[in-house]
Amino acid sequence: MLEFNESLIAFDLLAKDAKEVIELLAGKMHAQGLVTAEYGTQTWAREMDHPTGLPTKPFCIAFPHADAEGVNHSALGVAVMRQPVKFQNMADPDEDLDVMLVFMLANRDPQEQIQTLRNLAVLFGQPEKLTELRDQTTLQGVVSWLRRELRLS
Amino acid sequence: MSKLIVVACGAGINTSTIAEDSIKERVAKEGFADVEVKRILMADIEGYLARTDLIMIVSMMKIFRTYDVPVFQGMPFLIGSQAEKDVLLDKIVEAIKKV
Repeated sequence: MLEFNESLIAFDLLAKDAKEVIELLAGKMHAQGLVTAEYGTQTWAREMDHPTGLPTKPFCIAFPHADAEGVNHSALGVAVMRQPVKFQNMADPDEDLDVMLVFMLANRDPQEQIQTLRNLAVLFGQPEKLTELRDQTTLQGVVSWLRRELRLS
Repeated sequence: MSKLIVVACGAGINTSTIAEDSIKERVAKEGFADVEVKRILMADIEGYLARTDLIMIVSMMKIFRTYDVPVFQGMPFLIGSQAEKDVLLDKIVEAIKKV
């Protein structure tokens, strides 16, 4: 099972950098006991070694995650940014990307979440869908859009 | 002899799982019974180079050197359109058939 609920979403978020977004989403997960208190720090450390910015169109996104260690229950947190934050490109860490959507998948076991991973990869490949998500005007809109498009329960 | 394809990403978790899943599905559809698809950490890639059954590397990151086996950039599995994913899978299938 993948935990997904309104309290794991940051909507219309203003943040100074990628670290702040990662720590905020990890904090939301920790508040629900889904990850340990260290998960944000672990994920940021992983992000610095192995960046997760993705050069999607028409704007970039990021897919931060750390090891299964620290995850009590698999969960998806999402941030919809008011202004872009910079992540480095997974394919080329020397390249900065302006990221508008952050998908944090805290995963206990990738095989268990294979269907969610498939659905995410389908979403990431569709510019018009990413735009639809970014253009949601309410938190509730973001939640129901994600539930529908990613077929989350 | 079996044929090994390694799928490498930084963390060896979510990202390479997506690429591994796409390749495995196509390999099964093509009926290649002797092809093994394995996800690995980018950092572990050196350990696989000496294996005689290694036929291909799929990497989520850009690779700035050459190897004795074909290398494919796997980012389309994560962010490509369905058409781009299919093009990459076609290339991978062609490369498998050449071995």
